[in-house]
Amino acid sequence: MSKLKVSLEGSTDVVMVREFDAPIRLVRQAMTTPELITQWLGGVRATVVSAKVDLRVGGAFRYLFRRHDGVEFAISGVYREVGEARLAHTERMEGMPGEALVTTTFTERDGKTVMQLVMRFASADVRDAVVGTGMADGAGESYDSLEHLLAQGRQV
Amino acid sequence: MNNARLNATFAALADPTRRAIIQRLTRGEASVLELAKPFDMSQPAISKHLKVLERAGLISRGRDAQRRPCRLIGKPLRESTEWLERYRDFWESSFDALDGVLEELKKKEKRR
Repeated sequence: MSKLKVSLEGSTDVVMVREFDAPIRLVRQAMTTPELITQWLGGVRATVVSAKVDLRVGGAFRYLFRRHDGVEFAISGVYREVGEARLAHTERMEGMPGEALVTTTFTERDGKTVMQLVMRFASADVRDAVVGTGMADGAGESYDSLEHLLAQGRQV
Repeated sequence: MNNARLNATFAALADPTRRAIIQRLTRGEASVLELAKPFDMSQPAISKHLKVLERAGLISRGRDAQRRPCRLIGKPLRESTEWLERYRDFWESSFDALDGVLEELKKKEKRR
């Protein structure tokens, strides 16, 4: 069972929930300190080449990643809210359309922290263009059955 | 899949007629005439929809000048569900690594 929950909420949001076995203070520190970010962000999928974080309202951040195939990409944005249990920043994949507002909320209980991250796109259209799902009513169903057919290898 | 293509795919699928066309093509290739039949639409109107689907890389059209049968290309549709999978995979891997960093931070604090 995966510890990470990812879901589409409403028409504009992508939501992630994850629990960490550490107090908010340490989770927040690991998520906002460049020397720590480079140690975990990207996991086994990508390496953080550089991380810049100006942790204050209006301050910018930028993460430069390198995938194992050598391709580099960058995510950057500006902090909108810098609280102890709540962080908000704009975020975009550089060179791609579709900026999102990412709000991270931490809740601590018995030394463990539940993080909820809401990635909110400007509109349903923007989210759908980026995410490629959450199509208009009725579309989901035909899409599902089509996917089903394709999965059965019945495509020509 | 790059964003421009993803955009084209979803713009193409935003229209109910085009989705119905795609649905029909999952049962096998068809000519414009055959596709126009179930819809209350002229052949040129259907052709217009087919052009959008073709540009989005969702269908291809045969070379037979008379019939030019349309067929489905499955790949773009499959790829378009992959964003969430990739997103999830990226963060799952990241947070698993973060667990390790947090353990180290906790140990360091205890030593202090």
